[in-house]
Amino acid sequence: MTRLSIALTGAFQGDFIQVISMASAEQSKSRLPTGKLSKAGVMSFLSAQGILIFFLLGMFVFSFFSEQFLSQSNIMTVIRQASIIGIIAVGVTVVIIGGNLDLSVGSMLSFSTVLVVDLHDKVGPTNAILMMFALTLMIGAVNGILIGFLRLNSLIVTLAMLSAIQGFVLIYSGGQNVDIADQEGTWFAFFGRGYLGGIAVPILLFGLLAILVQVVMSYTGYGRRIFAVGGNPMAAVYSGIRKNWCVFSTYLISAFCVACAALVLGSRVMGSQNNVGQGYELLVLAGIILGGTSLLGGAGSIWKTVVGVLILGFIQNGLLLMGYPYYIQWIVTWVIIILAVWLDLANKRKSLFTTHS
Amino acid sequence: MFKKTAIAASVIMMSITTAQAEDTYRIGITQNNVGVDSYQTTYESAFEAAAEKAGNVDIVVLDAGGDVARQIGQMQDLIQQRVDAIIIWPTNGQAVIPAIRQAHNAGIPVVVTNSKIAEAGLEFIAAFSGPDNVQQGISSAEMMCDALGGEGQIVQIAGQPGYTTAMERATGFEDRLAEACPGVELLETQPGNWNRERAQRVMEDFLTKYDRIDGVYSGDDNMGVGALNAAKGADRADDIVFIGATNFAVGYDAIERGEYYGSIYQSPVDDAEAALQTALDVLAGEEVPKMNFFETPKITADNVSEFDRPVF
Repeated sequence: MTRLSIALTGAFQGDFIQVISMASAEQSKSRLPTGKLSKAGVMSFLSAQGILIFFLLGMFVFSFFSEQFLSQSNIMTVIRQASIIGIIAVGVTVVIIGGNLDLSVGSMLSFSTVLVVDLHDKVGPTNAILMMFALTLMIGAVNGILIGFLRLNSLIVTLAMLSAIQGFVLIYSGGQNVDIADQEGTWFAFFGRGYLGGIAVPILLFGLLAILVQVVMSYTGYGRRIFAVGGNPMAAVYSGIRKNWCVFSTYLISAFCVACAALVLGSRVMGSQNNVGQGYELLVLAGIILGGTSLLGGAGSIWKTVVGVLILGFIQNGLLLMGYPYYIQWIVTWVIIILAVWLDLANKRKSLFTTHS
Repeated sequence: MFKKTAIAASVIMMSITTAQAEDTYRIGITQNNVGVDSYQTTYESAFEAAAEKAGNVDIVVLDAGGDVARQIGQMQDLIQQRVDAIIIWPTNGQAVIPAIRQAHNAGIPVVVTNSKIAEAGLEFIAAFSGPDNVQQGISSAEMMCDALGGEGQIVQIAGQPGYTTAMERATGFEDRLAEACPGVELLETQPGNWNRERAQRVMEDFLTKYDRIDGVYSGDDNMGVGALNAAKGADRADDIVFIGATNFAVGYDAIERGEYYGSIYQSPVDDAEAALQTALDVLAGEEVPKMNFFETPKITADNVSEFDRPVF
């Protein structure tokens, strides 16, 4: 208990809690019904804040079992580890707010990472990064055209892209791992291993991208149009929004975020396997769902996704520090996700159990 | 792949009518999952090169893509085609046994390559050819013992859960360590899934959790280099001894630089050539031992120059 309170007074942890309480304030603002405290109101509050309460409880339990859990270095480590998933999740959140899904991000991450690492030794870091961004955006554009303009189902298109891109990666690399030959003597290491003002570069990139996208989504006409398209596409079209372009652009944003994540991943590992991004699409979705963004589109926030991704990171780190094997992490993670979806749904129908009114 | 099969098949059709038919063996191979890792990819090209060199072999190369059901289907195809011998890199050491028995009953000798199958299937195979993963774990434990002078705290980053290779290496390592080196304590084991990034994350968490780590044993060098990356990031690489298995090019370079203590040299080329040779010996009617292990020597800074840099 004392350990927890000591830790909580630490400067960085204070910031962290502040971020969470900001997010929770936003949640309660949008979800708490007006009027006096009723049973439904309590229920709604509980369901809206359930995951945060669970999270804080988890943090408490973990800190009890592991001395290092709330240490500044561990918190920084977890955020740095979570930043790859987080960067991708920022982009996918925009796609989901626009009413679609992107399951191809895992394969795209493999593709972009293999590409940038492989090109690094062939054309130098600057050109490699530029070419990787260009090609990744092209894949995003293909997704965007198929879903935005041809109006194909995003689940099917991105699922197909998942396999197609994975196949393409294998052809490109011939199945071989790629490595940067001179791991010490290249500034490419900066993106995954560097520090700027005492903060790890992946964390900075994650933070910057999250702030930028959040600002765009909250304060620009473009952001409002994405919300409108995801919320009610018909109404959006009637009010003069060019829906096709909006949907198209969300896939470019998603691809851009994947390219940033590939930069961090490639630089962190200084090499890449063909299947390095396999399963990332699920982790990204998990973080987004944990943050409370509805998969139905039209609602959600980048902040919540950031919190969701961090929750995921802290759960996995905490379980590992407590000495639980890998499998337990998966079970616990997905139990919590199902719990999150349930609470979200319960919140919408103002009841935990009833299914019909 | 299909084209290759078709060409191989048509070559056979033609050769049946010629006088050479008796001299040419037709060997089918179904691989586990070519392309997911460099080892398997290199194995495939080495196998094709070895068959070319042997001269009297036509090969049908199939890849199961990691899918047990597909591999069983491929086994049945090869039986249908009446190849002279089948080499199988099992996707699952238990599930493929019925298909192997089917081949055995059809009079086609089966050579299992690289990964073992379950005990129950051994009576149906002509031979096994591959690395001895238990022995590799034992060798790694001995290197760890030497490196630490018999005293210290270590962690283990194992391969993908459920993989025979991962389990055998871990068992060999743990048993031998306990026996030969009671002063070295294995603090914890977590899987790294043959994935460098995953291993790096696991090691970062280990470094947080344990103030003192003297050594890391990784199920392969790819993960070992991930662990090395994590230790470098935490400025603790100099205090830790890194020992791996399946020497990768990055591991080889790290040994040369003195950052990595040692590994086990395992060549996919040796693996492929040994599998083909075993099959040819079986076909030639020679007495072949059931278990044929090819050499997987220890590699450290002392002898690294005697080995070629791995191609993967």
